[in-house]
Amino acid sequence: MKICMQPIESIAWFTKEGIPHPLRYRILTEDKTYKTIKVNQVLFRTEEKIAGNRMLLFRCQGEVNGILKIFELKYELSTCRWYLYKI
Amino acid sequence: MKNRLIFHIDVNSAYLSWEASHRMQHGDPLDLRTVPSAIGGDPETRHGIILAKSIPAKKFKIQTGETLFSARNKCPDLLIVSPNYTLYRQCSMALKELLQEYSPLLQQYSVDEFFLDFTGMEKLLGDPVETSYRIKDEVREKLGFTVNIGISSNKLLAKMASELQKPDRVHTIFPEEISSKMWPLPVEELFGVGRATSRKLRDRGIRTIGDLASESPDDLKRYLKSYGLLLWNYANGRDDSPVRHNDFIPVKGMGNSTTISFDVEDKSTAQLILLSLAETVGMRLRQDAFYTSLISVSLKTKDFLYYSHQRKIYLPTDCTSVIHQVACKLLDELWQNEPIRHLGLRVSELSSNNLFQTSLFEKDTEKQKRIDQAVDTIRLKYGAHSVFRSAFLRSGLKPLSGGVIETEEYPMMSSIL
Repeated sequence: MKICMQPIESIAWFTKEGIPHPLRYRILTEDKTYKTIKVNQVLFRTEEKIAGNRMLLFRCQGEVNGILKIFELKYELSTCRWYLYKI
Repeated sequence: MKNRLIFHIDVNSAYLSWEASHRMQHGDPLDLRTVPSAIGGDPETRHGIILAKSIPAKKFKIQTGETLFSARNKCPDLLIVSPNYTLYRQCSMALKELLQEYSPLLQQYSVDEFFLDFTGMEKLLGDPVETSYRIKDEVREKLGFTVNIGISSNKLLAKMASELQKPDRVHTIFPEEISSKMWPLPVEELFGVGRATSRKLRDRGIRTIGDLASESPDDLKRYLKSYGLLLWNYANGRDDSPVRHNDFIPVKGMGNSTTISFDVEDKSTAQLILLSLAETVGMRLRQDAFYTSLISVSLKTKDFLYYSHQRKIYLPTDCTSVIHQVACKLLDELWQNEPIRHLGLRVSELSSNNLFQTSLFEKDTEKQKRIDQAVDTIRLKYGAHSVFRSAFLRSGLKPLSGGVIETEEYPMMSSIL
């Protein structure tokens, strides 16, 4: 996996306890078209607090261009933004 | 008093490490700490001074406080980043939260320094040195920056210990280690010895902390007054200041000052600058619910001559306009019309604002007070620059000046341990 840290649009559901579960996200590709990727499975979730900034990190599995790939999504709590962290 | 155990936790090149870990969290592949880099000023306009530097930048002999221009001369590839005080406060809060897990008695000494009283905690958490290694590693893993921890039996020695070797280290200076670890250091390394004191000490042949410790206290008192005695005690590792729980040191006065980017030669500009300072000082007074009855103005001319003047007022006030009027009178008496580069305004003799002696002979400022209150509320809600006096329109001057973050509290360094 390589770090790419791109802002993404995403759909997630939240539990009563406030834990988000990403379902799918879409990203603007180089040829200016949107590409939607479905999250098949969340492998694990961790929380980090680097520089005092809380972020949730999700390692996920999903189909990208017909290949099953592992990627990491990040959710920044202070701004409510989603990022594609690594792919 | 029983033996105390004090930790001093100090973030390594704080502003820079914080910026670096923040950037890396946001996917920047470059770690600022590994290249010559510095925090300070505005790299676009190339104005300002260096506030913090990376360890590779240190090799180019770049010093905190020097101008960006001279730093660039020493290292043309120096990477300069503007400061982000909101981020620093966030990092400082996160560190505070983490440290609170280790002791109920924690003092925030400045934005990047903490004193932690570990006395008695060893029964719960185990060996102090091992615990401090644990703290240091936890900070690095969870928060992404490194700290130095100094351990000793008082605050002064703990602080001296954390300065020894950087980064990411734990040091101890217990009283029996003073002679080997602290005394060989140059006297400038001692807490409280700055440029002015160091010159006085060096003139008398005192070069190391050990020299100072072996000096006779009577001699020191003769040429440094009571401060000499304090330094002599410090050099011998004696200090009994407590770890203050919320670092409450009573405020004795407050002041703001500004360095102007051009020479001020006419009275109206100087008065406007005083007004911009009166605005911020007045806001601080009202925020802390104080009245002042002593106002002083200081100025520095273009030749770096410094002088000041103060006046007592009979009716305590927190009113921006009143402070400004007194300040203008002081300026008239003080200023010999030479070009000014720096102006400061300070208020002291503070008293509580809920009870005071009124006066028959002073102007009633009730209406002014209500205006100040309204302006403060608007500024708090919509930002400091949402409302300002029309005198500043097209003047090219800032309507508010002085201070780091104008409205919020920002822990600053203090000379009181």
